[in-house]
Amino acid sequence: MKFTIYQESRIGRRKSNQDRLAYCYSRDALLMVVADGMGGHLHGEVAAQIAVQYITEAFQREAKPTLQDPFLFLSRALTNAHHAILDYALEKELPEAPRTTCVCCVVQGSVGYWAHAGDSRLYVLRGGRVLAQTRDHSRIQMMVDQGLLSEHEAAAHPSRNRVYSCLGGSHAPQIDFSRKTPLNSGDVVVICTDGMWSPLGNGTLAKGLTGVNLMQAVPRLLDQAESLAGANGDNLSVIALMWEDNYGETALGSVQTQTMPMDSFTTQLEMFGQGRQPPGPELSDDDIEKAIEEIRSAIQKYSK
Amino acid sequence: MPQQINQPLPAGFELNGYRIERQLSLGGFSIVYLAYDEEGNPVAIKEYLPNSLALRTEGAVVPTISEEHRAAFRYGLRCFFEEGRALAHLSHPNVVRVLNFFRANETVYMVMQYERGRTLQEHIQKYKGQLRESFIRAVFTRLLNGLREVHSNKLLHLDIKPSNIYLRTDGNPVLLDFGAARQTLTSEQAALKPMYTPGFASPEQYQKREELGPWSDIYSIGASMYACLSGSAPIAADARLERDQHQPAARRWTGRYSNQLLEIVDWCMQLDHLARPQSVFALQRALAEKQRTVAASGWLDNIRHRLRAMIQE
Repeated sequence: MKFTIYQESRIGRRKSNQDRLAYCYSRDALLMVVADGMGGHLHGEVAAQIAVQYITEAFQREAKPTLQDPFLFLSRALTNAHHAILDYALEKELPEAPRTTCVCCVVQGSVGYWAHAGDSRLYVLRGGRVLAQTRDHSRIQMMVDQGLLSEHEAAAHPSRNRVYSCLGGSHAPQIDFSRKTPLNSGDVVVICTDGMWSPLGNGTLAKGLTGVNLMQAVPRLLDQAESLAGANGDNLSVIALMWEDNYGETALGSVQTQTMPMDSFTTQLEMFGQGRQPPGPELSDDDIEKAIEEIRSAIQKYSK
Repeated sequence: MPQQINQPLPAGFELNGYRIERQLSLGGFSIVYLAYDEEGNPVAIKEYLPNSLALRTEGAVVPTISEEHRAAFRYGLRCFFEEGRALAHLSHPNVVRVLNFFRANETVYMVMQYERGRTLQEHIQKYKGQLRESFIRAVFTRLLNGLREVHSNKLLHLDIKPSNIYLRTDGNPVLLDFGAARQTLTSEQAALKPMYTPGFASPEQYQKREELGPWSDIYSIGASMYACLSGSAPIAADARLERDQHQPAARRWTGRYSNQLLEIVDWCMQLDHLARPQSVFALQRALAEKQRTVAASGWLDNIRHRLRAMIQE
């Protein structure tokens, strides 16, 4: 596999960033996932984190180095992530389960497979045009599809952010799957949250990412989206992938996976809070002293 | 290999300012002593001494740890620290209190508050089960407050059983022995053999340890309540998984206890972990709710009784 990939998330003008994103690849398969925690609900960023972490972990378990069935993988990973969020809510006795959108894409054998719930989007761009894109799970999108609203009207509609499918929450998510989409060299796959696509629109997004160096173009587009979104700009996150397989030209910062061992992964995922810690090395005398000191000070602190 | 038996420290032994009185219990992982501090207050001291890794022979003080077991011994130390760390952060009247932690004799020691009273196990044996409903409700409602505190510190006890539930002389229960306790987030480190007690351990402790959760301790709570009714440990979960010959409490003691209580016991002891109360909170709520319905039906019965009396007049 040969590709260029770039991811970035920005807080916009909000108090917290509830978007989470990650990409991960083995020698022969690549995963990208973006989740937009739903702000109107409690702990949106927790739902987004659980989803992203759960899905990347599932990928690392199963892509050895390819996934047997990418669609089955997507279906299971998204459904299980939904349940992981519900479990979290139960464990924490939350009055309602936190929610998140999720869009997730696997590229394997130069074929793209993706699935989504909510209004985070995936685009495949070819030659400056949108070759394929996901359809938001929103009432507004339904109205556009039925011809009741124009794209233009939808972009300004007050309830454009309301979605009817997401991970977490009280209902099982509706998950839509793509077709198998063969990718050519130069194709760009973009996944992003509504904070990115909503201010820019499809045209600007497609033009801004065609025939360019992603490492420079994506930050530029993020700047543009941020300034268009204005004073109340949403969190905005994007992962952009330029597929370059077997076609000579090497872009700056591109990744060549053929030299990777069969069982290794490279993952780009920012952690928060406590992750799963692998069992550490053997305790040294210093570690023992430190642990005892720590326990003694906790005893002192909590015995008062 | 025959199981080695570790010798306890002798009576009168001076250990870091504490005087050993006698051995209270011996587990696979540790020895617990009754000791007195410098002011003469009794304490319970737990000594980390896994008998498969370290051997203290008759008359010796420092245990022998062979070179090959050194890493495992230190690894187990990590778990012992985890228990200490967890308990140190817990300050709850229904959870045993840690007073001190120190290193000596090439191992480590945890000093805990010594409680006067007896274990629920001894209480059950004395009364041969058949404990009063009001007693069971009172003990478990308070105990669950402690367990809730444990779970909210991201810790599972994993060895709740009547012998680990201590009844103070005032009747207030204390949850003891967190030797099996694990931080839920690091439960996959199964380098040391998991410990469990047949009859009280949940089915997932035998098989699917990745499914461990608050519901696993809740199974043990249910089994402990069951033991209060029957006077003995229920059938072990692994045997139940093969062929379930467990008699539900609701069938066995109909009419002798309220259906509400019996249903709660059976609910906690479901083999499917998802069919049990999913949190201590849910269980407590059920216990409280049922009590309300008991009270309500009592009140209804009362009215019915009076009406009937009026009609008869």
